[in-house]
Amino acid sequence: MAKQVLIVDDAAFMRMMIKNILVENGFEIVGEAENGKIAVEKYKDLEPDLVTMDITMPEMSGIEATKTILKSKPEAKIIMCSAMGQQAMVIDAIQAGAKDFIVKPFKPDRVLEAINKVLG
Amino acid sequence: MDNNSQYLQMFFDESAEYIQMLNENILVLEQEPNNKEIINSVFRAAHSLKGMAATMGFDKLTDLTHKIENVLDKVRNDELVINEEMIDYLFAGFDLITTLVEDIKTKGEEASDISNYVEELKTYLAGDHTAEKEEVITKLDENFMIDLDNNEKNEIVNKMKETDYVYQVNTVLNEDSMLKSVRGYMVIKKATELGHVVKSKPSKEKIEDEDFGNEISLILVTSMDENAIIDEIEDIIDVQLVIIKQIEMVKSTKEKDNKSNSPENSSSKSNSKVKSFDVAPTVRVDINKLDNLMNMVGELLINKTRLEGLKVKSDIYQDILQQLDRVTMELHHVVMQIRMVPIGGIFNRFPRMLRDLSKELNKQIDLIIEGADTELDRSIIDELADPLVHILRNAADHGIESPEARQKKDKDAIGKILLSAYQKGSEIIIEVEDDGGGIDPDLMAEIAIEKGIATPEEIQSMEKKEKLNFIFHPGFSTSKEVTDVSGRGVGMDVVKRVVESLDGQVFIESEMDVGTRFTISLPLTLAITQALMVKIDEEVFAIPLSAISETLTVNPQNIRQVSGQDVIVLRESTIPIIEASKQLNLDVSYRDYINDLEIPIVIVNTGDKQVGLIVDELMNQQEIVIKSLGNYLIDAEHISGATIIGDGNVALILDVRNIA
Repeated sequence: MAKQVLIVDDAAFMRMMIKNILVENGFEIVGEAENGKIAVEKYKDLEPDLVTMDITMPEMSGIEATKTILKSKPEAKIIMCSAMGQQAMVIDAIQAGAKDFIVKPFKPDRVLEAINKVLG
Repeated sequence: MDNNSQYLQMFFDESAEYIQMLNENILVLEQEPNNKEIINSVFRAAHSLKGMAATMGFDKLTDLTHKIENVLDKVRNDELVINEEMIDYLFAGFDLITTLVEDIKTKGEEASDISNYVEELKTYLAGDHTAEKEEVITKLDENFMIDLDNNEKNEIVNKMKETDYVYQVNTVLNEDSMLKSVRGYMVIKKATELGHVVKSKPSKEKIEDEDFGNEISLILVTSMDENAIIDEIEDIIDVQLVIIKQIEMVKSTKEKDNKSNSPENSSSKSNSKVKSFDVAPTVRVDINKLDNLMNMVGELLINKTRLEGLKVKSDIYQDILQQLDRVTMELHHVVMQIRMVPIGGIFNRFPRMLRDLSKELNKQIDLIIEGADTELDRSIIDELADPLVHILRNAADHGIESPEARQKKDKDAIGKILLSAYQKGSEIIIEVEDDGGGIDPDLMAEIAIEKGIATPEEIQSMEKKEKLNFIFHPGFSTSKEVTDVSGRGVGMDVVKRVVESLDGQVFIESEMDVGTRFTISLPLTLAITQALMVKIDEEVFAIPLSAISETLTVNPQNIRQVSGQDVIVLRESTIPIIEASKQLNLDVSYRDYINDLEIPIVIVNTGDKQVGLIVDELMNQQEIVIKSLGNYLIDAEHISGATIIGDGNVALILDVRNIA
């Protein structure tokens, strides 16, 4: 069965990028969220196998969203999407329990490598 | 390079030892691939060699030993399995190391090319999963160790449970890894999940600040095994390589002093099984200094003998003389002891050689070594290596038959070569015995005729022994074609020459289809020996005691004649007697002795027979210091050297080996 992924990013362009990469490689995109708050809600509803989480977003940052999700579901698999220069925040997220991270600009093989590893 | 010649000598000595150790241990390893202790000691030898080479600035040697060390490390960590092919690669590598060391010794630089070998090794390893990681290891290894201070030591000891191990885990991140600090953080985090991280280098803070290169070293206390740790950490993206080394931590570290606490000293796992011997401290001494010392003892001895010759009638004089005698004897004994080394020093390279040979020749050969601890003068041992190599090669090549041929003869398919050494009186006997095809004396005779060494007429009256002895004749080789192994026609004659130059003898015995035995007998030491002084034509000569079987005086009536030759019958064996003066071509009238009332005769062992040497007078037995006659007189027949006797005169030393 195809693994279900929730994509979280405030930029529709970035969401599309990730979506294309994942769909092409047999993942099912069960939902998208443009900020942390929506992400937390959608996670509860959809219970996806994996979340790709942008860091800098309005309303609620990816870090906060990650922590919230993990608090209610510690085994949640979350991959952080980071830009260069955000290492402190990524470390923070990973400390909180995010499984891995990918760095923008996204390279398909990098993204898949990380996702497969976390899901594997 | 100029000012480190003193290190250079030490480097040569020690590297020779390490290379030997490598060769020996790899042989054992081939037999017992799972012997961790051996793997570890091989690894240590390679590692030490590398360290020495690097210190001396020999880049190729460093590189090469490093590569080999890596292979061994993989073996140690069960990443590589020992098989014959790998053993061959390792041997080839050791040979190259030897070549490089030789280069340095003879040419002052590392002239030989190692790139081919390195390439080959790489290709071989590529079959496994490691080739590209090679380079990284190179960079990493240098700062592998993390130093631990006492607090950290104590922390480890306190945290450790019975089932725990302490590891140093080194992680290398990909060069192009993004957000390296996060990756580094993930490594530390993962390690923390696996066990207790005592220390990391760089520190956690530095990692988070991205203030580090590509490597993270950490000390981890965990109950997991090495491979599981490697798997876990390598699972992290952008982790290129994980190297792990167990560090042995003894509970008692707390009480120990600072020194023994650094990881090197608390020893990686490898050292844990080193047995501690109570070894007396030793000093390395230049052999030349020992030669000098021996010379001085010789001088002392000569003067002592002269002093004795004065025959002063005084109690005090006699007293002093006795003391002096004891002290010089003791001194001589001690110096000789110092110069003695076990013959195993040259024996131990032969198993490796035989292994190579048997592969090359497609034969199965067992080499059995006995008496490797027999001691012999260092200068003799050095000379002996080449002759032994030659005899062993001959035994393997010409002696031992192919497995098929052996089976046809109802012999064990595996040929045996027995190399043994033992002391017999004041001589050392070395035997090389094979259970091969033996040597056909008639074939030897045929070839001897063919090569113009002997005439058919001479052959007629020859005994088997004499025919076999053709093998020692210069230019004699029975091998129809020249093989890589032996049969270049320069061989056994060289063996004979070398052995004789050492004042020794070499014999051959052979039985068709049963085997061949070469026996080399050598004096214990070259410099000082016991001798019987005799007078021949008013001159004093010394005959080494080792060559004498007995002395007697014979009544002319007891002399018989056998085909024109004077002989005596001694305990039912017939011994020819000859005049020493005649053999020495001294200008005296021969056969005068027949008119004497008593004829002094010295029975000497010459070759494998006995001859009675007629002398004018038997004098005394004494210690003599052998001095060479120098290069100009090296060909003087039947004279092996000279010595200074009590009255200050020179006495020639008779070489009775070929005197009749």
